Amino acid sequence: MKNIKLFFKNIKKYNKYAIRSAKAELKSEVADSYLNWLWWIIEPLCFMLIYVFIFSVVFENDTPYFASFVFIGLAAWDFFNRMLSGSVKLIMSNRGLVSKVYIPKYILLLSKSYTYIFKWFISLIITFVLMIFQGVPFSFHILFIIPIIIILYILSFGIGMILMHFGVLFNDLSNLIKIVLRMIFYLSGVFYNIRERLDGVLQYVLLRGNPIAFCMDELRKVMLEVKFPSFEGLAVWLLIAITINIIGINIIHKNENSYAKVI
Amino acid sequence: MKKDKNIAITVKDLHIYYKGLSKNSIRASWTKFNNKVEVFEALKGISFEVEEGKILGIIGKNGSGKSTLLRAIAGIFSPDKGSVNLHNNTISLLSIGVGFNNKLTGYENIYLSGMLLGFSESEIKKKEKEIIDFADIGDFMYKPVKTYSSGMHSKLAFAITAILETDIILIDEVLSVGDAKFKKKSYNKMKELISDDKRTVLIVSHSLDTIKELCNEVVWLNDGKIVKVGKPKEIIKEYEKFMEI
Repeated sequence: MKNIKLFFKNIKKYNKYAIRSAKAELKSEVADSYLNWLWWIIEPLCFMLIYVFIFSVVFENDTPYFASFVFIGLAAWDFFNRMLSGSVKLIMSNRGLVSKVYIPKYILLLSKSYTYIFKWFISLIITFVLMIFQGVPFSFHILFIIPIIIILYILSFGIGMILMHFGVLFNDLSNLIKIVLRMIFYLSGVFYNIRERLDGVLQYVLLRGNPIAFCMDELRKVMLEVKFPSFEGLAVWLLIAITINIIGINIIHKNENSYAKVI
Repeated sequence: MKKDKNIAITVKDLHIYYKGLSKNSIRASWTKFNNKVEVFEALKGISFEVEEGKILGIIGKNGSGKSTLLRAIAGIFSPDKGSVNLHNNTISLLSIGVGFNNKLTGYENIYLSGMLLGFSESEIKKKEKEIIDFADIGDFMYKPVKTYSSGMHSKLAFAITAILETDIILIDEVLSVGDAKFKKKSYNKMKELISDDKRTVLIVSHSLDTIKELCNEVVWLNDGKIVKVGKPKEIIKEYEKFMEI
């Protein structure tokens, strides 16, 4: 309990630092390039065009509003994927900082998460433009993306903290995570609708046991299908996410000042 | 509240081990599961106090635990046993290659380092020009830190820590960086900082002349233990004898 209190105190204290660091990092990613910040739009847009081409022309697909469908899933996946794969090497890549000054280690993750959430936000704007373009009917259900995004954020943050810790101890953890993430990617229904393509046990397990598949499906429900999200599902995943965060916070607090000795 | 003599740093029975958390591959951690973990004890029970405004020198041969001690005081290492109490003072560690984010510009790093030292953005803004002038690295200030030479790196690091004055400054072998001109400038700045009788300074250096000139007191470390504490002149004399053998 003490650790949780300290966690919120630290978040408050270092939030400005995290924001500033995230902004600086976003700027540095595009500095000195000819198209500059346009890359933030061009990159996701091009990826989407490629995937839509492959999956609607090469593998025929009749899912309604397929481009929007893919893009909603892909944007959520990108966020989840970046959070998890980014956190594994986070301490190592900040070695210079970690070995020279005290900083609560989850602040590094917080700062990184701001850059990822910013990118997701841009993708969402592009998605909205695309949805207007495709004539998707808009309704108030779309507002439910906010709790879904928040839950996915909290969950990724918790898993990220735990991966960050074990990433310090095992230098080949990133290889393993890469494989696991690739597997989850194909089991998340980025390019297909799990509810239509799969049935029976597999559908049941994926939509309930795979958080990213679940969040993607809920996002599509509220954005494309004018439906309410599954409130029980969201509540359960919120509880799981909070539990994982509590575990993560405790692990980090217990070990964070030993990282500098290892790296 | 505080005692009549204001104590800035209290170190009590400080032990630091390098063990337990060791870097491994996943496979190795299975096979080595039953092996004993090698423990290296870098500090073996160190206790001392530093009064506010005092300048403490730390001497000892390589590997005696000097830098480990500074890092533990700075809060980068957690004590495995014992404690470090800073009595709510702000602290900064000045060492070769201060923690910068290499991808970002020097200018951004001024703010980020400053904020980690506990200053607000507006406080840093006020001192920004002074830091840039003191660092004196020209247009490189607006280029990523990874493009810096090691000299520029330490110039900027020194400028940030020296201008944003924390209550306690820990100095790890930085008095000998930069070109001759900067060396002189930083030495003078250091003296100015030190002469403030509110500021507590800990210096680790192999330059005994520097220690003799700047410090009020010296701690001599050997093999993670304190050999002697006392006036610089006497301790350094003994230390020099010890090193000759």
